[in-house]
Amino acid sequence: MVDLNATLIAQIINFLILVAILTKVAYKPLMKALADRQAKIADSLETAEQERQAAEKLRQEYLAQLAEARTQAQVIVEKAAKLAEQTKEEILKEAREESARLLKVTQEEIARERELALAELKGEVVTLAVAAASKIVSQNMDDAANARIVEDFITNLDGKKIGGLPC
Amino acid sequence: MGHGGGGHEIGAHKLAQFAGLTFNLDTLYMTWLTMAIVIFLAVIATRRVEIVPRGWQNILEMAVTALLDQIDNNMGPKGRKLAPIIITLFLFLLVGNELGLVPGFTSPTNDINTTLGLALMIVVLVHVVGAIHRGPVRYFKHFFEPYIPFVIINIVEEVAKPITLSFRLFGNILAGEILLIILGMLVPYVIPTAWLAFSVFVGVVQAFIFTILSVSYLSNSLKDEH
Repeated sequence: MVDLNATLIAQIINFLILVAILTKVAYKPLMKALADRQAKIADSLETAEQERQAAEKLRQEYLAQLAEARTQAQVIVEKAAKLAEQTKEEILKEAREESARLLKVTQEEIARERELALAELKGEVVTLAVAAASKIVSQNMDDAANARIVEDFITNLDGKKIGGLPC
Repeated sequence: MGHGGGGHEIGAHKLAQFAGLTFNLDTLYMTWLTMAIVIFLAVIATRRVEIVPRGWQNILEMAVTALLDQIDNNMGPKGRKLAPIIITLFLFLLVGNELGLVPGFTSPTNDINTTLGLALMIVVLVHVVGAIHRGPVRYFKHFFEPYIPFVIINIVEEVAKPITLSFRLFGNILAGEILLIILGMLVPYVIPTAWLAFSVFVGVVQAFIFTILSVSYLSNSLKDEH
């Protein structure tokens, strides 16, 4: 049952033949497939990692750009507000000056006009008064008396009848 | 040795004389059949090798990658060169062990010539690899370390390796087949079926043990320090 013979040598040779055949037909393609797969997986992982890093970089860039844009917008808004404030002040100042100037001009105009009107009125009133007096008093007194009466009358008018305007 | 039923003789071999040498013919036939089956399986598994494995390629790859893991873990990168021998050893033993469970066939591994032949081959390989890896002088010096008398223990260990390796496999397979026949004669049907199922398991386990022990012996000769 445990008798050893030349079968032992034959089995070693058989086994080595099997190793040779399997190495040729099976292991080489199989090892190549395993190596290929390993390479492919490693490659895919590396590509994925690279893409992830690229995406992360892009995201950071966008975030930075966004932050910068926000800051710039803030600056622009502040500048515009300042400018508007300045413009408002200027417009207000100009308007005040303009209105003050207009007021002054108008007051001067009014004063001048009044002086003119008063002068005219004086002449008219003298003429009218003389005409009216000559009609009322059909007979003239002497010229000197006439003039005195009129003067008197006008002087009194100035003080009481003509609206109390200062002359 | 008792003869099994149906003229099936356990442990007795048909002998053939060739060039003054004696050969066990049935063992050789079964070995060639095993080789044919292994080659056939390997060929259909790798006929169209694809990046994404399917079917038989998947099964063979599973076995191969499991063994490659063991080789890488135990032997390091240098072990890759020995991978074809290790993988072939496992496939051959796996198919050979199960072949004897098919009615009408016997396992090539129920012959001590097969198992001892493989074990001696592994042990020779261990010494060759060790001598190449560490240099012949350093390698043979390590049998005399740490003290010269240790050479006796070391030699006993080296002799025990092929014997334990081969007799474990031989005994398991032969005993399984003998018991299968005896149980078939004594208590038909249920118990032989249970034992058959167990023998299938034993065949796988013994193939794995033989392979892993070979890996372990080889890895020792590849290591730099003890």
